[in-house]
Amino acid sequence: MSEVTVQGRQLVLLAAGFIVWSVAFVALYAMLSVGCAYGWDRIDLAGGLTLQRVQLIVIFLVHLGAGLWLARALRPASTSRGDDHPAQFLRHAAYGTAVAAVAATAFTFAGIFALTSCY
Amino acid sequence: MAALGSALALSACAGPLSTLQPEGPSARGAAMLWWIMLAGSAVIFALVSAMLVLAYARPGPLRAAGPKTIMVWGGLVFPGIVLTALVVAAFALGERMLATPRDPAPMRIEAIAERWIWTFRYPGTDGSETRNRLHIPAGQDIDFVVTSGDVIHAFWIPRLGGKIDAIPGRENIVRLRADRPGVYGGVCAEYCGEGHAVMRFTVEAHEEADYEARLAAAIAEESAR
Repeated sequence: MSEVTVQGRQLVLLAAGFIVWSVAFVALYAMLSVGCAYGWDRIDLAGGLTLQRVQLIVIFLVHLGAGLWLARALRPASTSRGDDHPAQFLRHAAYGTAVAAVAATAFTFAGIFALTSCY
Repeated sequence: MAALGSALALSACAGPLSTLQPEGPSARGAAMLWWIMLAGSAVIFALVSAMLVLAYARPGPLRAAGPKTIMVWGGLVFPGIVLTALVVAAFALGERMLATPRDPAPMRIEAIAERWIWTFRYPGTDGSETRNRLHIPAGQDIDFVVTSGDVIHAFWIPRLGGKIDAIPGRENIVRLRADRPGVYGGVCAEYCGEGHAVMRFTVEAHEEADYEARLAAAIAEESAR
């Protein structure tokens, strides 16, 4: 029986995409509450765009960018070994998970562009 | 048999605390979302069950489709469509429940939670209060300004809508309306200690024309205690 070694780093990379998503979730949730408490939704910066919405959009874009960067960094090289190698399989899975996390970030947090933030 | 089954299944869906018997727009929105979620989950359950039966009874078509097709359509596209519908419905219904400022402003009633009593304070009554019995006019929006004197509670009238947290030092506002006169149940919906289960209140929705007189009588009764 052959022994398979999985490094801790590979497992961290497997979760990396959704770690970015969860950091975005906590950051948006926290700053939404902070913005409402300080009345940032009543500070109009330009054309109805409030300070509250701008800061949420910035947080959203930073995390979307981080997720895209991660997915790109995890993209397996075309000359890589076959999928049957455990390390290679984990790398492919980490890439797929990172792509799914980017899609999840865009889907679940897109509401900040249009929804009412306070009340 | 089917009728008996339905009766048994739905027998817990009525009563003063039933979210499935909405009597106001906010509760109707929440109930509609519940029905959409039930329908969505039923469709997913039916599809998964059908696939399971097919896998045992006639595995040929599934084998021919291949694992990738099944995973992409069954595990990604199909739940994606159902979840998107749920998210859009939840966002749209959630927006309609918000107590956004408007002119003229709805009546504001203060709801103060303290272990394990609800105190309600009414506008235009020099700060008069009722305890564990809330009086509102039917047919108009009311903004409830909810706060707490001790720990975190939550204000919930299932048949009218809500709920919203009662937090010490903060005022949260929830806009509710009773479509017609009646008596509804209210509860604390956030565990707040040993008296949480009995921290209930009653809501009496009166005809608009009778409201002031009924409220005055209730306040007089309260102060006579």
